[in-house]
Amino acid sequence: MTTFEEIYNFYSPQIFRVCLGYTNDPDQAKDHVQETFIAVWKGLPGFRNQSHISTWIFRIATNHCLRAIEVAKRMPSAELPFNLAETWEESKEEKLIFLYRCIAELDETDRIIISLELEGLPQAEIALVVGLSSGNIRVKIHRIKEKLSQKFKAHGQFR
Amino acid sequence: MDNLDDLKAVWHTAKTDSLPSSGEMVRLIRKFRGQKLRNKWLVIVISLLLTILFVAILFIFPFKLISSFIGGGLMALGSLMLALTNIRSLKRFYRLDDSSNLEFIAFIEQTRKNQLIYYRKIMVFIMLSYSLGYMLYAYELTWKHPSWFVGVYAVITIYCSIMWFIVRPRAYKKGAAKLDAMQAKHENILKQLK
Repeated sequence: MTTFEEIYNFYSPQIFRVCLGYTNDPDQAKDHVQETFIAVWKGLPGFRNQSHISTWIFRIATNHCLRAIEVAKRMPSAELPFNLAETWEESKEEKLIFLYRCIAELDETDRIIISLELEGLPQAEIALVVGLSSGNIRVKIHRIKEKLSQKFKAHGQFR
Repeated sequence: MDNLDDLKAVWHTAKTDSLPSSGEMVRLIRKFRGQKLRNKWLVIVISLLLTILFVAILFIFPFKLISSFIGGGLMALGSLMLALTNIRSLKRFYRLDDSSNLEFIAFIEQTRKNQLIYYRKIMVFIMLSYSLGYMLYAYELTWKHPSWFVGVYAVITIYCSIMWFIVRPRAYKKGAAKLDAMQAKHENILKQLK
């Protein structure tokens, strides 16, 4: 995978989901995708495979998300709708909205870590993106999963 | 839904078909790249041009008094400082690439501290250089003509007063308040990463 187009086609959906996990706002997530790929476009000629290309791209994307704290007063983390539990089994979309809302209620770095984990990145690579040790990431993922489980339980989504 | 695989399955149902195609993205990138930093680059280029202009004038015109050289030198120094400060702050935009989140937030926190230093010290230094520079520079050009002297110094005094007592306090208040608010956010994220 060497051309920008190939990289974009492969990574843009992943980057979008991770940014959506962080922002819980599709428009903001799209802006972050665009900013990420502007940086990729600029940096690609000088990229020397010192790190895996996915690590490089996810670092750019998550740093762009973190930089948004300079401009955004607060990330949208809307309250859960009361009737969501009743319609849970009916729609995939409802499940997705519920998941993103639960993630939006987490701390900033927890949002990044769980988004990368759900995206399927190996924990060693998540550690490189975030800047923590693999062991630390493993512990954090365990804790985040517990937090999410509690949220699902609290809203009747646990089975 | 307590199972990570269940969550992953739900996670991957997010629709991504509204994303632009690679061709559209390339067009967008060509259109918007550099736009974000255009104003910063503009300040840098104009400041550097002014520095060159102030120095060149000192060599081109036959100034006799030392006050003109000191004044011109101070104005050139003020412009150079403005350019250097902006060049330094550009680093934070390029540092985004290939830093971990932890390194990046630590770097952003450092630039926030640098910005505070800019508002508290460097901005004062630049304005002082310009104010003194104007005063000294204008002396040789006006001292033989009293009416010019009074008029030019009145204009310089009014301009400097506006900059010192209205523009700078406003810029400081706005910038420092924003930076202080950011400090809490940065510290919170750094705490999360420990």
